[in-house]
Order: sequence, then structure tokens, then C-alpha cells
Amino acid sequence: MTNLDATPPLAERLGALEAQQVEAARLIADLQARDALKTEFLANISHDLRTPLTAMITHAEILRDGILGDLSERQRESVQAIINGGRQLLDSIGEILTYARGAAGQLTVSRTEFSVAEVVAKVSTLNESLVARKGLALEVDVPDDLPPLQADREKFAHVLSNLLGNAIDFTPAAGRVWVVARAVAGDGGCTLLVEVGDSGIGIAPEHHDLVFREFAQVDSSASRRHHGTGLGLTIARKLVELHGGRIWLESRLGEGSRFFFTIPYVADS
Amino acid sequence: MEDSALVTDALRLLFEETGHRVSVAATVSAAVALCAADAPDLVLLDLTLGDEDGLDLLAELRAAGLAVPRTVAMTGHDDPVTRARCLAAGCIEVLTKPVPARELLSQVRAWVRSSGPGTG
Repeated sequence: MTNLDATPPLAERLGALEAQQVEAARLIADLQARDALKTEFLANISHDLRTPLTAMITHAEILRDGILGDLSERQRESVQAIINGGRQLLDSIGEILTYARGAAGQLTVSRTEFSVAEVVAKVSTLNESLVARKGLALEVDVPDDLPPLQADREKFAHVLSNLLGNAIDFTPAAGRVWVVARAVAGDGGCTLLVEVGDSGIGIAPEHHDLVFREFAQVDSSASRRHHGTGLGLTIARKLVELHGGRIWLESRLGEGSRFFFTIPYVADS
Repeated sequence: MEDSALVTDALRLLFEETGHRVSVAATVSAAVALCAADAPDLVLLDLTLGDEDGLDLLAELRAAGLAVPRTVAMTGHDDPVTRARCLAAGCIEVLTKPVPARELLSQVRAWVRSSGPGTG
């Protein structure tokens, strides 16, 4: 039996609800304003970090290419080291900013139709010199008749580049790395399945979840030589999931690794 | 057209040391004035100029009845939407920064050569 005498009058309860609504609206407006500030900050910091670094790299390239006079071999090597460091720093800045945008819920997908083979070829070419330096065999298997993908081309390339870069990094000299892409039909429609594999050091099964976590690097003597922010696979997972896809790996210590990711094809409207 | 002194210093050095004459503008209005006074053979256009859109240069040149020089956009993103916007606005090419100096020099030489006699 309810004690009706203890229930606040209706007008009072309505007043409290209205006050809560006003407060909620104020909080939403405040959050939206902070969100806008975050977006502006990320855009500005990206420009402010990249611009001086780009200028430094350009000056170093001017020196390296002998435009201001010939350099000795040792001088050229030293300047090349500046360029390599600068480009590595640019990549790390890019990763950190992508991670920050992801954490702020500001990563978006801008879909266009593109050839998967073309992007795979471009990413492979960018890694050619490192592959050659380590004496690796890079195998690419992307069928000519693979349907074009409707996805964010830049983000797709970023995921592929991260996985291929890791495969190359963690494979000793004279090993194998490979990229395979297939269109797979299923109940939900057609899906692009990409595999990036290597004959490298492998990852123990108990670490398979860890590798996708922020700042995590599996502690092994080989991984200590690996550069990077520890955000690469976290970002790759975020970008794949933004497309409605999935990323996972199969690997055992000492037996190489195979990273897989899927991106659903968009059904024709 | 670029609003960062660091970047313009580096690019000015690159192009002047290789025989080109370089003018720099940090705003759309300054770029329009430069084009009116001394039409360049090629414009390298940074898309983000403070709160201005670099592509506005092309529209403003047309509005002023000035010839639009061969223009190459420089953007930080390898993004097909941005590329399409630049090409639609009249750019002949879109380069993703940072462009290796050797590659930039080679492309600029080709574009300047193809823009006609009397170039420098």
C-alpha cells in the first residue's frame, strides 16, 4: 500500500524534471563546444607539428642531393640519417594524431571506389627498398578480377601499410612476407578478405589480444629493436572496424604471423 | 603560395639554387597582386593558409579577369575528395606533402618547360 502523503506534489515533480532537462541541454551544449575545440586543436597541432618537420626534411634533401655543393660519402650518409629520422617522426606524429582523432570519435570514413590491386601495389612499392635491404621475398597475390572496393582509400592504405611494415620489421633477413586479397561471398553479402603474412618471429597466442592494445609491444629482444608508437595495430583495428570489418591474427612464436582483415563490400543501391 | 616561412625558405632555396625565380605570397589577396604584377609560369599552392582556402586564388584570378597560371595544389592528405576538388577548381595536379625535393624539382622543371618559351 503506497503512502500517497509522501509523494511530492505533481507540480514540484514536473519542475524538477524541467530543471533536469535544462541542465542536460546545457551539458550537451558544453560537450559540443569542447568537441569543436578538440577538433580545432587536433587540426592545428597536426599542421604545427608537420610544417617545421617538412621544412627540415626539405633542407636536408637539398644538402643530400648536392644542390648547394657536393658532399662526401660520410656527409651524405649523415644527412640521409636526418631525412630518415624526420620521415619516421612524421609517421609517428601521423599515428598519434590518428589515434587521438579515433579516441575523440572524430575519425570518419570517406568512401570512394578504388582498385585494391592498385593500392596493394603502391604500398608494396613504398616498402621495396626495405624489403631489398633485408633480402626478403615479397609475394603479392591479388586477382585481376577482384571487384573494386568502396571504402576510404587513405585509411585502407594505412591499415595495409601498417601490417606490411610490421611483417617486414619482424621477419629476419632472407625471409618471406606476403599479401593476399580475395572477395569472399557469405550470408551478409560479399566481403574483401586481406591477409598479410610473414615467416618471421611469430607471436605467442597469449599475446594475440595484447598486440592490438594501445602502447603495447610484446616484450622480446627482437621487438625492442622495433621503432614505433605502439599505436599502429590499435589504429588499424579502429580503421577496419569503422568500415564494419574485423581484424585478427594467427601466429605462434617462431612460426611467423598471418594478419587478416575484412571490409564488407557495399551492396549496390 | 604558402603561409609558413619555414616551408617557403626551404622551397625558395631549392628552386633559386636550381635556376628558378621565386615569388612568395602568404594570402590569397597577396597572391592575386603578385600574379597581376608578374604572372608566374607555375604556382605551387598550399591549400591551408590560416583560415583561407588556397583554392580561392583561382576563383579570384578569374573574377579579376586575370589569366590563371598553371597551378599545382599541395595537400597533406592523399584523399580523392580533396584531389577531385582541386582538379575541379582548375589545378593541373595535386601533390601530397611532404614531396621529396628531388621529385618536386623534377616535376616543376617539366611543368615550367611545358608552359612555354621565356620561362625561368
